[in-house]
Amino acid sequence: MISRRLEEWITERYDTEALRRVLRAKKVPSHPLEASYFTGGLTLFLFIFQFITGMALSLYYVPHSEYAYKSISDIMTKLNMGWFFRSLHHWGAQLAIASLFIHFFTNMLLKSYRKPRELVWVTGFIMIAVLYFFGLSGYFLIWDQRAFTAIRVATGGAGSLPFIGGAIKVFLRGGIDVTQETLTRFYAFHVSILPMISLLIVGLHVLLVQVHGMSVPLSLKDREGKPQPFFPNVFYKDLIIWLSATGILVTLAVIVPVELGVKADPMAPAPENIKPEWYFLFLFQTLKFFPGQIGLFNGETIAITIISLAILFAIFIPFLDRRSSAGKPSPAYTYIGVFYLLYFVVMTIIGFFY
Amino acid sequence: MRIFCIISSIIFLTAASCYAGPAGGGPDLSPYDRHIMYQALVLFWIGVIGLITIIIIKLREVKRIQEMGLHKDESDAPSLD
Repeated sequence: MISRRLEEWITERYDTEALRRVLRAKKVPSHPLEASYFTGGLTLFLFIFQFITGMALSLYYVPHSEYAYKSISDIMTKLNMGWFFRSLHHWGAQLAIASLFIHFFTNMLLKSYRKPRELVWVTGFIMIAVLYFFGLSGYFLIWDQRAFTAIRVATGGAGSLPFIGGAIKVFLRGGIDVTQETLTRFYAFHVSILPMISLLIVGLHVLLVQVHGMSVPLSLKDREGKPQPFFPNVFYKDLIIWLSATGILVTLAVIVPVELGVKADPMAPAPENIKPEWYFLFLFQTLKFFPGQIGLFNGETIAITIISLAILFAIFIPFLDRRSSAGKPSPAYTYIGVFYLLYFVVMTIIGFFY
Repeated sequence: MRIFCIISSIIFLTAASCYAGPAGGGPDLSPYDRHIMYQALVLFWIGVIGLITIIIIKLREVKRIQEMGLHKDESDAPSLD
């Protein structure tokens, strides 16, 4: 009864029927690889999940080098179900990044970036960068020795970029070394700046997807079936995937709860065999393959320059792949996509085990 | 959408009610508490599978109605007003 009155109150004031018409008119192509469409929705869901669990944790976290570690420890040991929420946030981040990579490589190989969806690709790519920074900044907030060393290495690595590296390093650290200033900055990035940027970018990304509609792979144009309505058909399937993802997240949080290392000591040496989070492993492993000095140049600088160029190339793929934009097969870019995927997977595995 | 709103509300309200009191669980639990935790996990999965089953049944019903063409509004249908 109350919901009916509320509905009447809203419909009297706003043209909700127009919105309903738009939603009813939204169609999704039907073809053998339509499962790829759900990767974007899953990433968005996990992103919202991170916002919710992050808000819960932020009620108790103290962004100060003296108290940050203790506040996390208190969340895990003194707060009712605090360990569970921290675990949910941790595993949510892992799954969100994994889901984003699946979404990225699927669209790269299916050439969903081709004209007129270039900006969809670019905004998606910006989101990968934002999510990486989310991961890095969130990781540091724990203020344990492993996170402290990882941030020292990561910000130091950014400092190896030619010309602008030094400025980036100082900007990220808020000074010469990793200190309280760095924690304040990373906290600001993690809870206010990055969420604002991601809301804008995700909003634009989703809006562009609505404007252009879903891309159908060129090779499947002939096998396309009758389009299915988004509401309720595709939305119900999305719900099934989101529920399953929630189940997996809760199970991981309960069975493999995230642990807390020892409190960071800026004067202590770096722990032995330290490794970054899995999504940084391919970068970490690439840096390890390069010698300290190559001719007159610093090996790390060369490695980071090559990685940066490879990332820049990937951003501009929609503008470079003219054949697929013209509706023709472009096997060269399929091989490039397969190379990127294999490089990421193989280097991550090598980095994980060695 | 309604299910999503309910799940989000439950997660947020549970988080908001997590006042700073004695710890109710954690990795270092007694065997009994661990048993209760896994039991809760099993019940949670039963709930998830139940919801998924309901959605699948609803989706099949929607598809059947769409195949029969009953979901479309008839333009010449008489008004009941």
